Amino acid sequence: MITTKILNLLFILFFSCQCHSARTVTCDRKMAHQTIRQNLKQVKPILSLDKEEARKRVLSLYKAWYRQLPYIVKQYDIPKTAEQLKQKLREEFTKHQDIKDVRVIDMLVIKGQMELKETVNIWKQKGHLMSYFKDTWEPKPTDFLSKFLAGKE
Amino acid sequence: MASLLRQVSKALRAPINRNIAACYQSRLQSTETANVEPPVETRPTVRKFDAVQRTQLKDFGKYVAECLPKYVEKVQLTAGDELEILISPEGILPVLQFLKDHHNCQFANLTDIAGMDIPSRPYRFEIIYNLLSLRFNSRIRVKTYTDELTPVESCNDIFKAANWYEREIWDMYGVFFANHPDLRRILTDYGFEGHPFRKDFPLSGYVEVRYDDEKKRVVIEPLELAQEFRKFELSAPWEQFPNFRRALPVAEEINVDKKE
Repeated sequence: MITTKILNLLFILFFSCQCHSARTVTCDRKMAHQTIRQNLKQVKPILSLDKEEARKRVLSLYKAWYRQLPYIVKQYDIPKTAEQLKQKLREEFTKHQDIKDVRVIDMLVIKGQMELKETVNIWKQKGHLMSYFKDTWEPKPTDFLSKFLAGKE
Repeated sequence: MASLLRQVSKALRAPINRNIAACYQSRLQSTETANVEPPVETRPTVRKFDAVQRTQLKDFGKYVAECLPKYVEKVQLTAGDELEILISPEGILPVLQFLKDHHNCQFANLTDIAGMDIPSRPYRFEIIYNLLSLRFNSRIRVKTYTDELTPVESCNDIFKAANWYEREIWDMYGVFFANHPDLRRILTDYGFEGHPFRKDFPLSGYVEVRYDDEKKRVVIEPLELAQEFRKFELSAPWEQFPNFRRALPVAEEINVDKKE
């Protein structure tokens, strides 16, 4: 059950990358080589050398968070259940599903790992954890009446 | 013959350059003052530089550039008597190791690591290492560059002091240090998003933190300060301090022969 969920997530995350690479292959190889040379520059990798490696890192980070969720619910005094946290975790990951740059993915993974460490070691407090849920944020006024009442326009 | 030609061409070229410079200056300068080269400093309140020390620093800069020609891109003196070595980011570890362990350097003390953000550059961040040699009572500055996504080698193995400095740079600028033993935030709050010393970080921050009496906890909410976009033009159209035209140049490059 869990694995199918994760696979789904991955599919969402990396489907677009695969599409892109497939398109490049179908081009004339020489042309492709030239255009790639023109458009890409050699960069220093952060952690991963290719998309596959980055994908594995994202997966393992997701798993690590997922396994810690029950303990987080127990240790922090927050009015949330493990199910709600799982949903939020998924939301936080799918928020970045359009990112294709391997280095950006790596950077997000690094930051995610740091967050996980902060959460598991209880360096964070209740307020930090609850800020993921944004439950006190007031929605921005959209229609005429709410804008008028908010004093805008 | 060739040398003669070169001299003639040099003589021909020099006055043209000076004329162009003079034209340019006359356009910028509104107040008429004597147009002279920076003279010998006689004002009692302005710091004078030790000529011997300056030549020593220049020689030392050249020596470093000759020892590490692969990494040193430029050597310069700033503020009159501060030696700066500008290196490429691949050379951080070898250059710092050289400066620490070479018998004629012995910069065993890492005073500080600073960062700088110039968003218009292709590599927007500058990382600046300030070193001190207690043996020779001398300081040196090593500068390198990077961008948001290019990792920089951590020099924690060379200088133990680099640990917290690099964490600070990571926290404030978001420059990732590879092979750092314990890279995490040091100044900002847990869950803080963004890097406050970046130029594109707003002065008020993105969120505000307050205690909510109903929730009985601290809540974090987005902050929006309504203000129309304004572009401040701070430079005056006239020249306010003509005397400061004679100020020293910010950086004085030291010529290094690049032998292939």
